[in-house]
Amino acid sequence: MSPTPDSNTNFSSAPLLEVCGLQLDFLKDGQALRAVDDVSFELKAGESICLVGESGCGKSVTALSVARLVPSPPARYVGGQIRVNGKNVFEMSPKELQQIRGGVVSYIFQEPGASLNPVFRVGDQILESLKLHRPASATREEVVQLLKLVGIPAPEARIHDYPHQLSGGMQQRIMIAMALASHPRLLIADEPTTALDVTIQAQIIELLKDLRQRIGMSLLLITHNFGIVGDLADRVVVMYAGQIVELAASATLLARPLHPYTRALMNSVPKLGGESDRLTAIPGNVPNLGSFPKGCRFHPRCPKARAECSESVPELREVEPGHWVRCPFWMS
Amino acid sequence: MWTFIARRLLYLIPLLIGVSLLTFLLMSLTPGDYFSELEQNPQISPATLAQLRAKAHLDKPWYVRYGYWLANAARLDFGYSIANKRPASELIFERLWNTCLLSMAAIVLAWGVAIPLGIWAAVKKDGWADRSCSLIAFVGLSIPEVLLALLALMFAASTGWFPIGGTQSSDYFLMTQGQVLIDRLHHLILPTAVLAASELAGIMRQMRSNLLDTLRAEFVTTARAKGLREGSVIYRHALRNAINPLLTMFGYSLASLLSGAFIVENVMAWPGLGRLTMESLTKKDPEIVVASVVMATALLVVGNLIADLLLAWSDPRIRVK
Repeated sequence: MSPTPDSNTNFSSAPLLEVCGLQLDFLKDGQALRAVDDVSFELKAGESICLVGESGCGKSVTALSVARLVPSPPARYVGGQIRVNGKNVFEMSPKELQQIRGGVVSYIFQEPGASLNPVFRVGDQILESLKLHRPASATREEVVQLLKLVGIPAPEARIHDYPHQLSGGMQQRIMIAMALASHPRLLIADEPTTALDVTIQAQIIELLKDLRQRIGMSLLLITHNFGIVGDLADRVVVMYAGQIVELAASATLLARPLHPYTRALMNSVPKLGGESDRLTAIPGNVPNLGSFPKGCRFHPRCPKARAECSESVPELREVEPGHWVRCPFWMS
Repeated sequence: MWTFIARRLLYLIPLLIGVSLLTFLLMSLTPGDYFSELEQNPQISPATLAQLRAKAHLDKPWYVRYGYWLANAARLDFGYSIANKRPASELIFERLWNTCLLSMAAIVLAWGVAIPLGIWAAVKKDGWADRSCSLIAFVGLSIPEVLLALLALMFAASTGWFPIGGTQSSDYFLMTQGQVLIDRLHHLILPTAVLAASELAGIMRQMRSNLLDTLRAEFVTTARAKGLREGSVIYRHALRNAINPLLTMFGYSLASLLSGAFIVENVMAWPGLGRLTMESLTKKDPEIVVASVVMATALLVVGNLIADLLLAWSDPRIRVK
């Protein structure tokens, strides 16, 4: 069971990224706690996917695993494969991994302030990326060019700044410039706007959208905000407690969410200009690692839970072409 | 930056006045003075004693004497040591040089060994290297300096490999310049090792934990995600950040070395400032005590200033505009 985009999404090229049955444990006090459980999806060149879910659902760990960036220990890969350009990252030598990192897959993170090295000038940090992956273009001019690309005013002056001299939004633009410097084919953005204030969030999302069109790279965006899904994603993967619970083209999913968790998540996003409904929160919390409930992991918080839900873990099934749901009662 | 340095040095003046005042007061609160010993001597008449005391201004109340001292000190004249029959400044600068030599040697040894060991322990966390470094640090931190100094003396005495006490051999005036240098270094080894030992353990543990903390920082993940070699990630990106808290520690390290030197100098007969202070305290020679306390304070403040400047140079976030 490997959910793949079907014929109604028009990507003819081979997958750039394939995640197949990924299983990852965190070792804690001698116990193995499953953080990612049988996650599979693929991403074609030029395609854009959103990973959605609350904090602690395994989204970030899945995304970091693509370039083997989760330190192990404490993490341990138990099963599955991640193939980048057809090659399994778990079988790569350190040298091959270094080429994939930046060369094929670049990252931007949630806290730009913490993700930039505080003791180096931002221009030098971008130059470092250029030296690694495009040594021929490792010049000051190219750095200035990159800063212009991400919309930083007065780039010639900014390259001499240290990260703490810039605002959060500017820091995130620097991160994006640094990620793009190596001409990656896939940009993984791990909640890139969560730490920024609302107006800046919109600017960064707009920038990512614009860059995607101009450069034509793939995007794997992690978010817990459904508000930006429609803008950026071709397909959406909804995760809960380490598992995929729903996967569909973004238009389909936004129009007709089938899993109760997806619906609950979407109801908890405030709508501008909509009827003044009360904002509905999902009762309870994401279960902690190692204490997942028996049966469907969402059933204790699910408004439609039945007695059967606590018995066995439901399978992820393709209920409509390209639309996968992990809930046997999706029709109700 | 120059105004910052100037301001810090200006702060030094009231501090030194306070420290000297306190030392003067404490000294005068203890019973007796340098001439008390002579009271037992039947050959010296009370009149002579009174004359001697008057000459040394010891007949005046402490605050008057402090006034005299302060007025002289403002002209960098630290008075006259009645016990040593020499100007205090001359005596102190001679001893200060020895203390600085010992402290600097200990700093070089402690930091030069502790930093690489700490990095090694952090990189090989939980490996045998880390464990043996922990053991060494544990031993180094647990043994009191006095005991270590005594053990070193015992070692020197039983093997005869090192001289016991002093800065040079008694026949140094017969040596060539090169031989004098080697002789001095030979004398320096044991006190330096003892003084560096406990300092070394602390710095090593600090380096290890700082680097481990920094390796968990998000910018380290960014550095890895760029495709940097693990070596560059650790030694360029992580280490440059992990070293900053240690620069602050450097200032404190200077302080603890000075107080450590006090013990080592006394046990191992190293003619430094600490030993001079101790001798002068028992002899009740106030000029020397106050002047050496003032010197030690100044050294400490300057050491902290150097540490702050180093930190500002290393960490752009705390640079003063």
